Amino acid sequence: MKRLIHLILPILLFLALIWFWEWAVGYWQVKKFVLPAPSAIWTALAQEASDLMAGKPGTLFASAFATLQTTLTAFALAAVTGILLAALFASSRLAEAMVAPYTVILQVTPVVAIAPLVLVWVGLDNAWVAVLILAWIVAFFPVLANATAGLKAADPNLRDLFRLYRASRWQTFTRLLIPSSLPYLLTGLKTAGGLALIGAVVAEFAAASGNSGGLAWRILEAGNRLQIAKMFAALILLALMGLALYAILSLIEWLLLRRWHGAVAR
Amino acid sequence: MPALTLTHLSRTFANGTAALGDLSATIADGAFVSLVGPSGCGKSTALRIIAGLDEPSAGAIEWQGARPEIGFVFQEPTLMAWASAGRNVALPLELEGVARAAAAAQARTALANVGLAGFEKSLPRELSGGMRMRVSIARALVAEPGALLMDEPFAALDEFTRAKLNDDLLALWTAQRFTTLFVTHSVFESVYLSQRIIVLSGRPGRVVADIANPAPYPRGQAYRTSPEFNAVARDVLAALTEAHG
Repeated sequence: MKRLIHLILPILLFLALIWFWEWAVGYWQVKKFVLPAPSAIWTALAQEASDLMAGKPGTLFASAFATLQTTLTAFALAAVTGILLAALFASSRLAEAMVAPYTVILQVTPVVAIAPLVLVWVGLDNAWVAVLILAWIVAFFPVLANATAGLKAADPNLRDLFRLYRASRWQTFTRLLIPSSLPYLLTGLKTAGGLALIGAVVAEFAAASGNSGGLAWRILEAGNRLQIAKMFAALILLALMGLALYAILSLIEWLLLRRWHGAVAR
Repeated sequence: MPALTLTHLSRTFANGTAALGDLSATIADGAFVSLVGPSGCGKSTALRIIAGLDEPSAGAIEWQGARPEIGFVFQEPTLMAWASAGRNVALPLELEGVARAAAAAQARTALANVGLAGFEKSLPRELSGGMRMRVSIARALVAEPGALLMDEPFAALDEFTRAKLNDDLLALWTAQRFTTLFVTHSVFESVYLSQRIIVLSGRPGRVVADIANPAPYPRGQAYRTSPEFNAVARDVLAALTEAHG
């Protein structure tokens, strides 16, 4: 019963807010290029969907798909490179001391500031590559930082136990370090998923080129034409994508850790 | 026959802390020996050095013949939270390359020996503190070690669980006779368990007394309040008091 209430309350609030919004826009005669009514946003979304069905190019959904593709590719790249580099750091302190400062520099430099440079390097014709690289840079760091912390988080007594039984490096890595790091790693991946989407959109804005094909361009375009309802529709699609990504990663985390995470078992 | 001879073992850490001052002892094969001393006297350090997990700053450890397989029990159960009790116990065998099925069978027997038959599939968090410590003991004994080193294993347990585990440990030791070095800061636990109690001074730890306890095994609950028990406990307490003024 309590769970049901917790599920229903946010939905009720949402419906109430939408109703108020619709009512307020009508009551105060708000101009539709300032704040469109929810029904107008819905109409814009429906229009985009029927355009997509009709095979028209450049719909919001096609752009959302392009952004999603960039996001997922950048996320996958960030996951693989972050984990590999963390594994290298775990196996060699020298390598960590040598490389770690540069990963921090990459992290603290604003991605918007790097964008023009990357864009020049890959060429305007390949703007999507620039967007991918920039999204990867943003998503990469949380994976690296969390995986590195996780690989160091193994219980020192368990490490001693593995030494006592003369475990090989590989055995220690696969049987102790990787499982110990899993909760950290999954937190990093969850952060990276959201950041990959943010990075992709920010990079699309920074690249400011239609042939990157992403949602950011559609938002700029709609803004210039004062199609505010379409802008809202694009924002809704972005938010839904971010939520879906987070939900999927949370589900994976739950599936992997439900049996032992949060346990006091030491 | 001596299993192990320690000569003038000492350990000073890199930061200058002298943990262990001077430990010399000859441990007989199959004996149950306790190391008793105040916190920070280096008794855990001594155990780690004997296990080969740490190097002495000076002194030597000499095993009779080849260094035997060693089982080690920490103060915490130190189990892999993501693995079942069975997999935890099978770990030493699997690391040695024993096939998984054979290791699982041996782990089942080892768990039964500590009173946990049927708990192979349980995860550590599903077990009580005492049961987790039993899993830890089963893991230390699964590879049939020649020596068992225990570092204050029961310090975190309640009185009843502790007494029960004391008796179960003694039953296992009587049956298998692995050489046992048991570190504790409890005088009464050391007297109840051991044939011999080595008393260490405060940091840096030095041997201040080496007291034999000739009482026969099995030692039941009645022994805990017997005059013989009290006599040995009084000697150990006196040695500890003398060392610390």
